Amino acid sequence: MADGLQILRRNRPGSKAKEFCRWPDEPFEEMDSTLAVQQFIQQTIRRDPSNLEAILKMPEAQDEGVWKYEHLRQFCMELNGLAVKLQAECKPETCTQMTATEQWIFLCAAHKTPKECPAIDYTRHTLDGAACLLNSNKYFPSRVSIKESSVAKLGSVCRRVYRIFSHAYFHHRSIFDAFEKETHLCKRFTYFVTKYSIISKEILILPKLDDETPVGESEA
Amino acid sequence: MDDSSVSHHNGGQVGSQIGVSVNNKQNDEPSQSVQYSIPGILHFIQHEWARFELERSQWEVDRAEFKARIAFLEGERKGQENLKNDLVRRIKMLEYALKQERAKFHKLKYGVELQQGDVRPPPEEPTSEPEHAERAQWKQGRQLIKQYLQEIGYTDTILDVRSNRVRALLGLNNEEIENPNYRNYDKQQHDRCDYSMNHMVRKYDYGGKEARKSTGGGGYNEEGLSVQETAAVFANFEFLTNQEMDMDEIDDLDAKQSHHICSKKGEDLDLEAEEVLNELSLITEREADGGGQGDEYPVGGSAGGAGAGAAAGAGAGEADEEPLALGELAQLTVSNEPEAYDVASANKESFRKTWNAKYTLRSHFDGVRALAFHPTEAALVTASEDHTLKLWNLQRTVPAKKSAGLDVEPLYTFRAHTAPVLCLAMGAPRSEECFSGGLDGTIRVWNLPPPTADPYDPYDPAVQGAVLRDHTDAVWSLAAAHGRLLSASGDGTVRLWAPRAARPLLATLRADESPSAPAPAAADFADAAARAAVAYRDGSLLLYDLETGQAVLRAGCEAGATRVRAHPTLPLLVTAHEDRHIRFWDAVSGRCAHAMVAHLDAVTGLALDPNGLFLLSGSHDCSVRLWNLDTKTCVQEITAHRKKFDESILDVAFHPLRPYIASAGADGLAKVFV
Ligand SMILES: [Zn+2]
Ligand SMILES: [Zn+2]
Repeated sequence: MADGLQILRRNRPGSKAKEFCRWPDEPFEEMDSTLAVQQFIQQTIRRDPSNLEAILKMPEAQDEGVWKYEHLRQFCMELNGLAVKLQAECKPETCTQMTATEQWIFLCAAHKTPKECPAIDYTRHTLDGAACLLNSNKYFPSRVSIKESSVAKLGSVCRRVYRIFSHAYFHHRSIFDAFEKETHLCKRFTYFVTKYSIISKEILILPKLDDETPVGESEA
Repeated sequence: MDDSSVSHHNGGQVGSQIGVSVNNKQNDEPSQSVQYSIPGILHFIQHEWARFELERSQWEVDRAEFKARIAFLEGERKGQENLKNDLVRRIKMLEYALKQERAKFHKLKYGVELQQGDVRPPPEEPTSEPEHAERAQWKQGRQLIKQYLQEIGYTDTILDVRSNRVRALLGLNNEEIENPNYRNYDKQQHDRCDYSMNHMVRKYDYGGKEARKSTGGGGYNEEGLSVQETAAVFANFEFLTNQEMDMDEIDDLDAKQSHHICSKKGEDLDLEAEEVLNELSLITEREADGGGQGDEYPVGGSAGGAGAGAAAGAGAGEADEEPLALGELAQLTVSNEPEAYDVASANKESFRKTWNAKYTLRSHFDGVRALAFHPTEAALVTASEDHTLKLWNLQRTVPAKKSAGLDVEPLYTFRAHTAPVLCLAMGAPRSEECFSGGLDGTIRVWNLPPPTADPYDPYDPAVQGAVLRDHTDAVWSLAAAHGRLLSASGDGTVRLWAPRAARPLLATLRADESPSAPAPAAADFADAAARAAVAYRDGSLLLYDLETGQAVLRAGCEAGATRVRAHPTLPLLVTAHEDRHIRFWDAVSGRCAHAMVAHLDAVTGLALDPNGLFLLSGSHDCSVRLWNLDTKTCVQEITAHRKKFDESILDVAFHPLRPYIASAGADGLAKVFV
């Protein structure tokens, strides 16, 4: 009962990995799901992950809070990929604290009293905490309208998430570069937080990244 | 965008009284206006109070339900223990009778003790005592039989193997059957033999009972076997009735059995025995739907005992059975005992309640592709397109401050897959492991953290176990049983693994070698994990023998399949299809026993309850449906998830022990119903 005239955008058990979500784009106006914004964002990323402008071009009449919220969800989700890579290399023995440059030691806010977690734990706890907050029924009960007070919560998530990028950049550069080459995630994230002024520029400590970032030398 | 969303918990508790579909629509109102007035506040307080009252009563109802459930399960366990013991006893009797038949045959054939055949008490007078002179002859005969039995090596091991098989058939067997004897048999034949055993048990039982009536005296009248019926039975079992004296022997055997297996004997045992029989007959009836041939069995009005026929036919090699006799017996069994359905109805009772959404598991960033309950605990694992798996403990809920609803936070997030996770399987009880398969082509073994784990504990790399990398494309389906794992992949193969072994890949199953061969969509262990049932994207359904790796049965239809499940006790396979159908297949004949339009859109999830009485299905039409397997009727429909693109529900599951069901959705949520 599949195709015919109508396109069914679904993944069928037994299909190939390269077919996954490879269906024709659906115009945003025609998406009637409560998850339309997520669908739209993912669809645009899939088309070209490096096209930051297209990915972050908000459709007209879109609620900006929801737009930012859905993008942040997408960032945290894709950051799982970086965390997986870091798990193999970022050990509590070598990265005992969450640092980027030696200027700051970041405390992990996932605990009742902020804790000096090793970098890998900081990464995992931050992502777990973000998943928790962004799926909280209290702050984000809906994915089509979000209270202003809840939108304000996105900033702190963004700041912590950025530290994951910066730790990887300064301490696990080869991982960072490989990941970035594949996903353009840090670039997109920087573009995002700058465009919507979510994080102040002073905090964005990574040098400007471009596609020709050399791969190699994992050193601070 | 009028539908404002995912807030099931604010309205959720009230909603859960009414059902999920209401629940979903209920969330529009909260916190829209912020003007306060005294009547408004009073109304609010009233409303809140009413809500808390409702919640409280809901809790009380839940508690009562759980108590009832515990009592029921305890009862059930006891019942099953007795049933098991009784079955063992009966099987020994049965075997004995069979040997007697053979002995008799032997005698007849070689002319030894030929005169025995002449001794024939009339069946309609089963109460008559044998004469003394005859007794002497019988003693002689008994001696001969004993000798014969020794000759053919009629050992306990054989009995044990068989009783194990029957128990496995009845789903009573929890431990693995690792008997070497068993391995030597051709599986298929063995199977059939088991089914015929059921009938034999029944068949013999009636003969036996009557006979015992004669030797041991009364106590069976309450069964209400009419003289005619008895006569009919006896007409078919002249061997048994002829050698009535041998019933002494059987009684001895019986007593011995009771001595070391079951200390309890007497009338209540016989009542239980009846239950056993009833259950067996029930199985036959259900089997009837799965079979293909005869209508000579007017069993309880169901579609005509084809399964029984097949079984009886197949069993003919093993024992001289007459299908007709079985038919009559089956009828007898059913018509005699109105409480025939006790076991089943007790189970039904526990499901008759309406399932309500209780927990919403929200933490995944994208669609939840699969979920699996912990084998014993009130916990489950979900697998998502966000590349992670999460472990949830339903008993560690975080009472959301405002709404007293039950939010569950994940206990642990498993990160290792580098692409969406597509499927999951839980390991055996106490093994505390689970397996996941992903779009990245890997299968990963996970050591489950204890239920007391804190989500913000330090990272423990030991949670990650072995990685199985032989598949070259997405892994879409996993099933685990007896320490082995079955996976189906987009690379066109189904693979069998011993996930903890040094060389984990045991076998690779292919429908055929051609590159255009359809890819498997799903696989499940069948027949006590001796076989694999594989449903393909083109709709074909293959049954592989896992010893040989060869396909032993080919069935199927035109419509692409999405899931396959093997019935826990019957030779029955259930498949879900893109064309909205659920289909039922006889695993012996390969015949499609039943097909039904089950949903409004592609069926995507299938789960059978551990007793094999209910079927749970999920679909892209956003609903979960619960089906009575006996009647194939829908017992409950729950609208559970929203759509993302054209996908909605991606998986459903039953808890193996506790009264939980769950659904996983493309909307990133998993829901647990109680
Ligand atoms: Zn590190
Ligand atoms: Zn921490």
